[in-house]
Amino acid sequence: MTSIGVDIGGTFTDVVAIDGAGRLRIAKLPSTRADPSAAVRTVLGRLLPEWRIAPGAVDCFAHGTTVATNAVLERKGARLGLLTTAGFEDVLEIGRQNRRQIYQLLLEPETPVFLAPRARRRGVVESIGPDGEVLTALDSASLAQAVDALVAEGVEAIAVCFLFSFVNPSHERSAADFIRARHPELMVSISSEVDPAFREFERTVVTCFDAYVKSGLDRYLAEMERDLRSAGVPATLQIMQSRGGVCSARIARQRPIRLFLSGPAAGVVGARETGRLVGHEDLITVDIGGTSCDIALIARGQPVIRAEGLLDGFRIRVPMVDVNSIGAGGGSIAWIDAGGGLRVGPQSAGAEPGPACYGRGGTQATVTDASIVLGYLDPAYFAGGTLGLDARLAARAVDEHVARPLGLTLRQAALGIHRVLNTQMAEGIRLVSISRGMDPRRFALMPFGGGGALHATALAGELGMNTIVVPRYPGVLCASGLLSALIEHESAAGFMTRFGDALAPEILRVLAQLTAECAARMREEGVAPEGVTTTCYADVCYVGQAHHIEVALAIDHPATLVSSLYEAFCLLYDQIYGHHTRSPARFVNLRVLQRAANRAAAPVALRDDGRARGAITAKGSRAILLAGSEDYVSAQVVDRDALIAGDTLRGPAIIEQSDTTTLIEPGWTGLVADSQVLLLTREP
Amino acid sequence: MNVDAVTRSVDPVTLEVVRNKLEGIANEMQMTLLHSAFSPIVKEGMDCSAALFTADGQTIAQATAIPIHLATMIPALAAVVGKYPVAAMAAGDVYILNDPYSGGTHLPDITLFIPVFADERVIGFSVTTVHHQDMGGMSPGSIPTNATEIYQEGLRIPPLKYMEGGRVNQTLEAMLRINIRLSDTFMGDLNAQLSACMVGARRLRELCGGYGADLIETIFTLLLDRSEKMTRAALRTLPAGTYRYVDWLDNDGVDLDRKVRIEVAVTIGDGAIHFDLTGSSAQVRGPINCVPSGAQAAAYYAVRALTDAQIPTNGGCFRPVTLHLPTGSIVNPQAPAAVNARTATIKRICGAMIGALADVVPERVPAASAGLSLMLAFGGRKADGSGFIVSELVAAGTGGSASGDGVDCLQTDGTNSMNLPVEALAIEAPVRVLRFALRTDSGGPGRHRGGLGVVREYEFQADDIRLTYRGERHFTDARGAAGGGAGAMSRATIYRADGRTEAIASKLVTTVSRGDRLVVETAGGGGFGDPKSRLPEHIAADLANHKTSAEAARRIYGLCDGGPT
Repeated sequence: MTSIGVDIGGTFTDVVAIDGAGRLRIAKLPSTRADPSAAVRTVLGRLLPEWRIAPGAVDCFAHGTTVATNAVLERKGARLGLLTTAGFEDVLEIGRQNRRQIYQLLLEPETPVFLAPRARRRGVVESIGPDGEVLTALDSASLAQAVDALVAEGVEAIAVCFLFSFVNPSHERSAADFIRARHPELMVSISSEVDPAFREFERTVVTCFDAYVKSGLDRYLAEMERDLRSAGVPATLQIMQSRGGVCSARIARQRPIRLFLSGPAAGVVGARETGRLVGHEDLITVDIGGTSCDIALIARGQPVIRAEGLLDGFRIRVPMVDVNSIGAGGGSIAWIDAGGGLRVGPQSAGAEPGPACYGRGGTQATVTDASIVLGYLDPAYFAGGTLGLDARLAARAVDEHVARPLGLTLRQAALGIHRVLNTQMAEGIRLVSISRGMDPRRFALMPFGGGGALHATALAGELGMNTIVVPRYPGVLCASGLLSALIEHESAAGFMTRFGDALAPEILRVLAQLTAECAARMREEGVAPEGVTTTCYADVCYVGQAHHIEVALAIDHPATLVSSLYEAFCLLYDQIYGHHTRSPARFVNLRVLQRAANRAAAPVALRDDGRARGAITAKGSRAILLAGSEDYVSAQVVDRDALIAGDTLRGPAIIEQSDTTTLIEPGWTGLVADSQVLLLTREP
Repeated sequence: MNVDAVTRSVDPVTLEVVRNKLEGIANEMQMTLLHSAFSPIVKEGMDCSAALFTADGQTIAQATAIPIHLATMIPALAAVVGKYPVAAMAAGDVYILNDPYSGGTHLPDITLFIPVFADERVIGFSVTTVHHQDMGGMSPGSIPTNATEIYQEGLRIPPLKYMEGGRVNQTLEAMLRINIRLSDTFMGDLNAQLSACMVGARRLRELCGGYGADLIETIFTLLLDRSEKMTRAALRTLPAGTYRYVDWLDNDGVDLDRKVRIEVAVTIGDGAIHFDLTGSSAQVRGPINCVPSGAQAAAYYAVRALTDAQIPTNGGCFRPVTLHLPTGSIVNPQAPAAVNARTATIKRICGAMIGALADVVPERVPAASAGLSLMLAFGGRKADGSGFIVSELVAAGTGGSASGDGVDCLQTDGTNSMNLPVEALAIEAPVRVLRFALRTDSGGPGRHRGGLGVVREYEFQADDIRLTYRGERHFTDARGAAGGGAGAMSRATIYRADGRTEAIASKLVTTVSRGDRLVVETAGGGGFGDPKSRLPEHIAADLANHKTSAEAARRIYGLCDGGPT
C-alpha cells in the first residue's frame, strides 16, 4: 500500500511517497526538459529500491505535468489545421484587437497565430443561428475540399470551430466523423466538446490549443504508462487537472487543455489539505520560487477557481485554480535604475547562472544573496547541503551592485533588498484578495515552495495577518497535493437564456445529460457510483454584462429552481462586488462537477519519529540581521526533523530542513501541531 | 530644504518601498472601482482610472488604466484647486467636475477628488475618473454625433463640492438625478468612484501615519525629481531639432465635405520636448473639437512611448513637456463648441506627434498606424417588440517598423477597447455578421508591410434599425516611412435589399431594414522601407496566408511566377 506523487516542474521534479504505515519520503530531482518522463524512470529505477518500496505495492501513482505547457512554450505541438464557418477563417488571427503593452510603439501580434496561419485555416459552408437553427446545411463537398486541402498542407491535427456550435453541435460532430473516417491518423478537437460556450475567438483558441498538444501528450502518457507496467507498478496513472482534481491518464489525454496548470493546481490542493489538518479553511497561499511568486486564495476550504487563465501570454478559457503570478522570487535581481533608484526584479538570475552565491558565474545581487548576507540561509546547508553556497560571492555582489552605488552599508543594502521584495509581494497579495472581495486580515498565510517560509512573517506583518501555517514539507507541497486530490470530472454546456424565459424542465434535462457524461467518465475510472458526489452550477450574469460568475444550483425543488438561483446569484454578487441590483439576469453556461475520494490515495497524515517530549535542542545559533536594526542578533537554529508535536519556539529563530528554511521574526511564536504542521502566531 | 539635504534625509530603500506602496494603492483604488461599479462600460470596458496626486497637483502614482484619463486628471485637479484653494479645504470634502471648459474632457467623464489630510494639512489627493454611461443631453449615452453645441451633449458640472463635512450636497444630487437617464445606475457608478477615492485616501493616510507626513512629502519630491531626471536623460538621446507632421481627420461629422487638419511641430532639445499645434484647423461645428487636456494627454502618451518604459510614471515625466495650442483651434476650442467625439482627434494628434519623429529615430518609430477606432451603433426593436441598442468599436492596421511587419487589426495609441464577438452581436440584436476577415492587400507596401485592416459584413434581420457609422481614414491614408507605401483607406457600403448601393462618406446616421447589408473595410497601416527589398520568403508567406494577392505581389513586390525579380 504505497502512494507516489511526482510533480514535474520547469526546474525541479518533486517526489513524495507514503507507505501504508504513514511513513513519508521526499526527493527533489533536476527536471530533464528534453525528456521529462526520464524523472519517472529515475523514481522507478533508483528511488523505489533506495526507499525499499516494492513496485507491486504502489497502488496510487499521481502525476502533475508541465508537458502540455512546454509544448506551447517551445512551439513543439502538432502541425495544426483549423476548420471554421466559411467567412470566419481569420477569427483566430484577429482576436479581440486590444493590446497588453499600452505605451509600446513597436507592436507584436497578440493572438496565437502560430497555431494555424491562414494557409492552414479553411472555411466550410454551413451556418447555424443563435437559437441553434440550421440556416445553411453542412455542405459536404466544401467540407471534403477543406479537409483535403489541410491534409495537403501536411497537418497532423485538426481543430474545428463553427459559429454557434455551443448551441447546436451537429455540424461540428459531422465534420469530426468525416475527418476520423477519412483520415484516422489525424487528431481531432471540436469546440463544442472542448469549450461549449459563446464568444467565437475564445472558443477557437482553446480548441486549437487542445488539438495542438493532444498527440504529444498522448505519446508522453502512453510511454509513462508503459514504464509503470514494465517496472511492475499496478497503479493506474492519474493526472492532476488545472481545476485541482485528478483523473486517469486515459481520460486526461482526451482533454489535454485541462492539464495546463497541473503543477500549481496540485500545490493549492496540497495547501488546502494542510490547512484542513489544523482547522484553517481560509488561506492565502504564496509559493515563492526562484523567478516568481504564485498567489492563490482558498475560501471556506475551496480553492478559488477562475474561468480563464494565461498561457505564454495568451488568454485561454479553461476553468483553473486561480493562481496569480508576480515576477518576484529568490532569484530576483536588485539593480539601480537610470535615476539612481533601487529596484528589485522582475528580471531574475533563474537557475542558470543563478544567484551570485551559486558560484556559477552570476555576478548580480539577488534576493538569495541578500538572504546569505542577512544570515537567514546557511551557505553550507542550502537544499540540505546538496548545493554549497559561497557567502563571499553573495556579499561581494550585494556590495558592488547595490550598497556602493547607493552609498549604503552592506547590511543596509541586504535588508533593503528584502524590504523592497516583501513590499512588492505584499501589495501583490493585497491586490489578489481585494480583487476577489476578500480582506487578507481574515485569512491565514500559507507559504510554500523553496522560498516561502523565509518571507512569511515579514509578509504577514505587512498585511496584518496573525497566523501562518507552514506545511511539514513546503518545498514538495505540489507533489504531496497530488496524493490528497479528489478524482474530479466536469461537463459544461452553453445555455444562453434569460432568467425569465428559463424553464426548470429544460435546465434539468441539460443537467441530467451533463451528469450522465461525468458519470460515464467515473465508471471508466472504476469509481463506484455511491462514492460520487454531484454538484450543479450555473454561470450567471446580469443582462448586458459580459462577465459571469459561477453560482451553485440547487435542483431539489424544480418549482423554485430559477427564483432561488436568482437570489443566490444576487447574494454572491454582493459578496464579491460589495453591492447588487434587482436587474434581470441571464444564464451563460450550465455545469456539472462530480467528485470522488481517491480510493488509492493515502491520507497525508504524518507521524513523529518518536523523540521523547522535552526541551528542543537547537543545532546551534547564528547571527542574523532583522528589519529595523543594523546590529546582528543571535537566533537559535533548529533542525526541522528534530521537532515533534507540541514543540514551541519564539522568534528570532531559524528552522532548517532540506527543502526550505523558515525564519521566525521576533514577535512570532511557532508551535508544531499534532499533524506536524508548524503554526506561527503573532504575539499580541 | 535644498535638494541635496532632502536626498540625504531619505534612504533609497524607504524610497523604493514607499513607491511600491503608492503604486499598490493606485491599483487597489482601480480594483475597487472596477468591482463596485455597475454599468458595463466600467465593468467590462474598464473605461475608468485611478491615481494619487501631490497637494500641488502632480501625479504621484497611477493605476495601469486608460492613458487619456490619467493625463486629463491633471488639468481637472488644477481647475478644482483654482476655485477652492487647498488651504481652505477640510476633511470630509469631495470635489466633482466634468465640464470640458473647466478642466474636464467630455461630459460623460466625471472626475472625483478627495483631499487627503495628514498632520492637519492636505498631503495629496485621491482621484478617480469614470466614463459614465449617460450624462443627459440630446441622445442616450451623451455622445451625439450631430451635436454642434455642448449644451446638446448633456449636463455640465463645473468644479463643485459633491460632499462637504462628509455630507452629500443634496441639491447637486437632485440636479444630477433628474437630468440623467437611468439615474440609479449613474449613482451606483458615482458611489463606486467615491468608494475607490476613499480607499486611496485611507491608505495614503495610513502611510503618513507610519512614516510621518513630512517624510512622505519629501518622498513625493524625490520620486517626481527622479522620474523627471530619467525622462530628461531619455529625451537627450533624441537628436535636437524641430520636426513636423501633418495629418487629417475625414470631417467633423456635420460638415461632411471638409477635412480637418492636425499639424504638429515637435521641438526637442536640452532634455525638453515642446509640441506646437499651430497650423491645425480652426474649431469646427461637429463634436470632434478637443479641449486642451486632450492634446496634453496625447503629448503625455507620446513622451511615455518615446522614453524608457522603466521610468516610474508620475508627474515628473511630464515636467519636460510644454504645448502650444492656438486659441479657437480644433485643439483649443472656445465654448460652446461640441466636444463629445474628441477621441478620434486625440488619436490623430498622438499619431502626428509620434509620426513627426519617424525619420528622426526610424529604428524606434513605426510607419503611421491607421489610428482609428470605427464606431458602429445599431438600435431598434426585435421581433418580440423589445428594444435594443448595441455599439461596437472596430480597429485597423498598425504601421510596419524597422523591426517587423505591422500588426493586423489592433488598437493603438490612446485607446484600447475590445471588439464585439460575432456571436454576442447576434444574441443581442437582429444583426447577423456574414464575414469577418482580414482585408487582403490593405497593408501599406514595404520591406516591412503595414498591418491589415478588416472586412466585416452585416445583414440586418429587422426593419427600421437605426444605424450610426462613425469612421475615419476614408479620405486620407496612413502613410509609409523610410520608403514604404501608404495603407489602404477605409471603405463602407450599404447594399439595399432592393439592389441600390450607397457608399458611406466616413460618417452617417441612417435607417436600414431586413435584407439590407453593410460591408465595412477598415484601413491598413503604413509600410516601412522599400517594398522592393521585402524578403522573398515574406512575400511567399503573405501569398500563402492571403495577406497579399498574387496581383499585388506582382505589381508591388515585382514577383514573377518564378519568384521575385
